[in-house]
Amino acid sequence: MDLRNLHWTNIAKVAGLGTGLLIVLGAVFVWSGIYNVAASKDHLQITTWILTLIRERSIATHSFKIEVPALDDESKIRLGASHYEGGCVPCHNRPGEEINSIVKGMLPPPPNLLEIGKHRPPEEIFWIVKHGLKYTGMPAWTNVLRDDEVWALTAFLASLPATAGDYGELAGLSRGQGNAREEPANGRALNVCVRCHERDGMSTNGDRVPRLAGMPEAYLLRSLQEYAQGTRASGVMEPVADLLSEEAMRELAAHYQALPPVAGTAEPDPEQLRRGEAIARRGIVGQGVPACLSCHSGRQSQQFPVLAGQNAAYIEEQIRLWRRGGRIGTPYGRIMAAVAGALDEGQIEDVAAYLASLPAGRAPDAPVAEAGR
Amino acid sequence: MSLRRFIVPMSAFAVQGCAGLQSALDPSGAEAERIGTLTWLLIIFSTAILVAVCVITAVALFGGERWRARISGERTVIGGGLAFPILALSILLGYGFYLMAPGSTSARVEGGLRIEVVGERWWWRVTYVDESGRRTESANEIRLPVGRPVELELTSADVIHSLWVPRLAGKLDMIPGRTNVLTLEATEPGISRGQCAEYCGGPHAFMSFYVIAMPEDQFSSWLSGEAEDALAASRDQAAGQALFLSSGCVACHRVRGTDAQGTIGPDLTHVGSRHSLAAATLENDVAAFVRWIREGQHVKPENLMPPFEIFTEDELRQLAAYLDQLR
Repeated sequence: MDLRNLHWTNIAKVAGLGTGLLIVLGAVFVWSGIYNVAASKDHLQITTWILTLIRERSIATHSFKIEVPALDDESKIRLGASHYEGGCVPCHNRPGEEINSIVKGMLPPPPNLLEIGKHRPPEEIFWIVKHGLKYTGMPAWTNVLRDDEVWALTAFLASLPATAGDYGELAGLSRGQGNAREEPANGRALNVCVRCHERDGMSTNGDRVPRLAGMPEAYLLRSLQEYAQGTRASGVMEPVADLLSEEAMRELAAHYQALPPVAGTAEPDPEQLRRGEAIARRGIVGQGVPACLSCHSGRQSQQFPVLAGQNAAYIEEQIRLWRRGGRIGTPYGRIMAAVAGALDEGQIEDVAAYLASLPAGRAPDAPVAEAGR
Repeated sequence: MSLRRFIVPMSAFAVQGCAGLQSALDPSGAEAERIGTLTWLLIIFSTAILVAVCVITAVALFGGERWRARISGERTVIGGGLAFPILALSILLGYGFYLMAPGSTSARVEGGLRIEVVGERWWWRVTYVDESGRRTESANEIRLPVGRPVELELTSADVIHSLWVPRLAGKLDMIPGRTNVLTLEATEPGISRGQCAEYCGGPHAFMSFYVIAMPEDQFSSWLSGEAEDALAASRDQAAGQALFLSSGCVACHRVRGTDAQGTIGPDLTHVGSRHSLAAATLENDVAAFVRWIREGQHVKPENLMPPFEIFTEDELRQLAAYLDQLR
């Protein structure tokens, strides 16, 4: 055959035959089950190389546009470490401790994260924690609305290995394992409430964790139920509430209502308190913001949380969450959404500082919603 | 044929539109009557001109030689094209000024009853200020004594609204930071409907209200009743009142005589006695209260009251019954 006079139909025939053969071979390969998916046998070197390259390029590209907030915040690190203890330790183990021999059998095995803060920039850590990684066993965050929680965990991971020595204290391990009532039947590490929330005489583990002592029982029970149903979004609390029985939820709600509140330590500036007080007690009529204390003073429905003495950082973060549309999953949340949407950033900080400065669980007795006109 | 099928029902609608609570052609107020007079005068005058022009055009096309020569003359052009329009329009303009002048602020009655109306998104805050300076806040309804001019001081709390009660007067804008004065004088007792006549956002179409004109003696007894605090809740209503006071309603609403002192939303002290709910969006009965509380965002989308889906059926009925008896 003269190659110079090759007609296009001949080229097409050869190409067609070749493609057909490849498809048949591919099909035989897949159906035969020759490929070994066993985790006990490592990938070929070239497969490992390709998988690693694809993973790293994907992480770098997808985290490129993420803006990193301030992470050197102790309360963020504490919240992150506390969630790490419940959510991440089962596979990654505590920083510096070797992963257990069961998860070591995974392919790829979960990396030890002791040095993660050195290897990876925070935006990459954030992206991986939020979205998880396909084919590695790394799960995505429980929901996509709680970037604030993902950043808290990122803050902790980014602070490694410097904070590894304080891990026990940061994650609340030194706060004790709780009493029988606080530790539900299965006793899993995840469910030790006192690692984060108050325990007799001790305040919360950092001010991003809500204070629960003295809260109305009905509100606490409803919150646990909403977390368990997934209608209130939280990557931290949903997994905790999932494991609780109805009975355990009731016991916990009753326990925290009865727990005496611990005095706060906030020292905000008086000018900010004055502005915050005006919002909390009288609202901002022109902006359509009602007085916070007309629902949250403790004298109203037992379904409303009492905000006097609540941690300021927690209040701020929740109002911001409402503004992002992250708390409209429940009927109560939808009421508050209208209020949160009317506040601006400065007002959120002012009012949170004022509420945090009140004696825990006790709002001023004066009529709260005075005539605003 | 198809045109006829279209016109017959449409003209039926048009005729319907001329009657009723919100028709400028069915006036029951002093200013609206003057506007009505002027409207009919203009309609009759314009119709006469139209007929005359048609006749002249017909003559120009089909008329005899003599008639056509007559209308093509200079005198017809100058007389009919210049002198007549200038004269007729000047007279009409002068008459219009003369007729509408009493509707301006010249009718100001010093020290008499004033009503402050503030346009809010998307309702009306109505405050009666009587001869002694006593202020009585209400909402979404205006009551007037028959035969007495009453000043309405109009302003807005947010965006530009416009108050228009076609049976009583022309419309006047409500502008933030400015007070416009509209004088209403009802000439006969009865109900009229008014609405916001300036687009003001999502639920603009649901921003309406009723005006109730009452004989002088009934009006004064109504106003003194309206100024009273709400009656203490009876035993039947205690559960509804407790729900109202504890579920957040009081953050925005006031019921005088109770702890409810919110000022963001409408005053509800005597809400049960009004002719409508939610700025003439719903009838005023227990079922409407239930609907409004639970699904207000479906009834009047984007309104600023958050949805309250937190109540059980029983609680909703108790709450609605309590609100309904606030008369």
